[in-house]
Amino acid sequence: MTVLAWRAAVLLAALAVWEIVARPLDPVLYVAPSRLPAALARMLSVKELPPLPGHVWLTFTEIAAAYALAVAAGLWLGFLLGLRRTLGRIYEPLLAALYAVPSVVWYPSLMLFFGLGPASKIAFGFLLGFFPIVLSVLAGVRQVPQHLVTVAVSMGARPRTVFAKVMLPAMASTMVGGFRAGLALCVVGVLVGEILGSRSGVGYVLNYAYGLLMTGEYAVLVILIAAAVLAVDAAGALLEARVKRWGS
Amino acid sequence: MGQLKSEGASERRLVVVGGQVVSILAVLVLWEGAVRSGVADPLFVPAPSAVARALVTTAGEALPRLGDTLLKTLLGYGLAVALGVTAGLLIGSRRMLHRVAMPYVVALYGVPKILILPWIALVFGIGLPTAVLSAALFAVFPIVLMVAAGTRDVDPTLITVAGSMGATRGQIARKVLLPAVLPSVLSGLRIGMIFALLGVLLAEMFAGHRGMGFQMQRLALAFRAPELFAATAIVSTLSVAVVLFLEHLNRRLGRWR
Repeated sequence: MTVLAWRAAVLLAALAVWEIVARPLDPVLYVAPSRLPAALARMLSVKELPPLPGHVWLTFTEIAAAYALAVAAGLWLGFLLGLRRTLGRIYEPLLAALYAVPSVVWYPSLMLFFGLGPASKIAFGFLLGFFPIVLSVLAGVRQVPQHLVTVAVSMGARPRTVFAKVMLPAMASTMVGGFRAGLALCVVGVLVGEILGSRSGVGYVLNYAYGLLMTGEYAVLVILIAAAVLAVDAAGALLEARVKRWGS
Repeated sequence: MGQLKSEGASERRLVVVGGQVVSILAVLVLWEGAVRSGVADPLFVPAPSAVARALVTTAGEALPRLGDTLLKTLLGYGLAVALGVTAGLLIGSRRMLHRVAMPYVVALYGVPKILILPWIALVFGIGLPTAVLSAALFAVFPIVLMVAAGTRDVDPTLITVAGSMGATRGQIARKVLLPAVLPSVLSGLRIGMIFALLGVLLAEMFAGHRGMGFQMQRLALAFRAPELFAATAIVSTLSVAVVLFLEHLNRRLGRWR
């Protein structure tokens, strides 16, 4: 209980400091927390910003597409490299090296290739999400105890059964962590792409508000998007915990 | 027997390295062929030979830009390391602080930092301060998380034993805590470096007037694909080199432990 009280106190203290610091400063640049509710109300009543639902939906579909592609490609390549050991030894270091490059390096090339529309955002989200997924699938496949597979096969289990009853439970806890990290990175990739240059999506609306110096609305948008991202990640954490319990 | 084993290992190593070299060469050859035969449009995907030519012609002007980007990265990284290691050690060593602060650190780690970048650029303008702050912002939370986790995992019996054997506080810190915390600090430092570089490049792309990020964004918008690919190759090679260097450092310090 005291922990919760302390956490609440920290949050309130942070808000108080923010308020005290922001109050006397230029309101165009520094938005005090007390001005956020008014900004939210303005955002909902006065239609100065582009209509949000359409843009939110577009961003959502971009993320979904990027994640679906990243999962499909990650599973395929992860199993391929995990089951063919020599291929795995050859290509895993190359993948790891590419993963170590700050991802945003690839964005200008993707923008050049796919244009400013949703395709470049999907491609960038895919690229970011793909690496943790493929590396975790690869690690998961390697983690399957070989003797269990041998025993199951010698007892006459069919490949499908071996996969579902032996491999999957052994891989699950490693894989699910990578899937969660991949989703978080897909979200980041799509948002980065939208903010760096786009004509639609929540990143565009954010840039629009900021470009017109509507900092109150901008701050509200930042908080809403951050809350949505954290909510998605929290859901992922819950799912991860369940899968880990099932796998162990 | 031992010799036989090592022979098998070196043979396997040959297969791996050979496979890597052959694959990279094959990709380059296929890529070149695809552009020459007209399958890929050189406006979007320049041939490797064109990229190599661009690399030679732009290397001169790329170097000062690279230096600019590296300087910002190091400044932001220094800031993030100083803050992150201190906060990580504190949070990791105080139980109550850990329980209170950790959810906030994890949440801040999870929030896409790009969201705040427009505001930083608005307040600090385009240029060095924005990029440095962006680097520090991107790098500080992974460092805090790593260091805090490592500090928390230090076995308390080690400290008790050293203390009961008459070690002074300084000795405990130097001989027991430092070696125990070092691996997680080092992996935090490695990840922090990538994030700092990411933060600088992003800031330069979003609101810069110098540096590699700015240059790459400009080349993309001007459809100068060969130069863009050359710049991408330079930056990615540099970051792989930095990571390999930090890993090398890591291994050497590991031996010292």
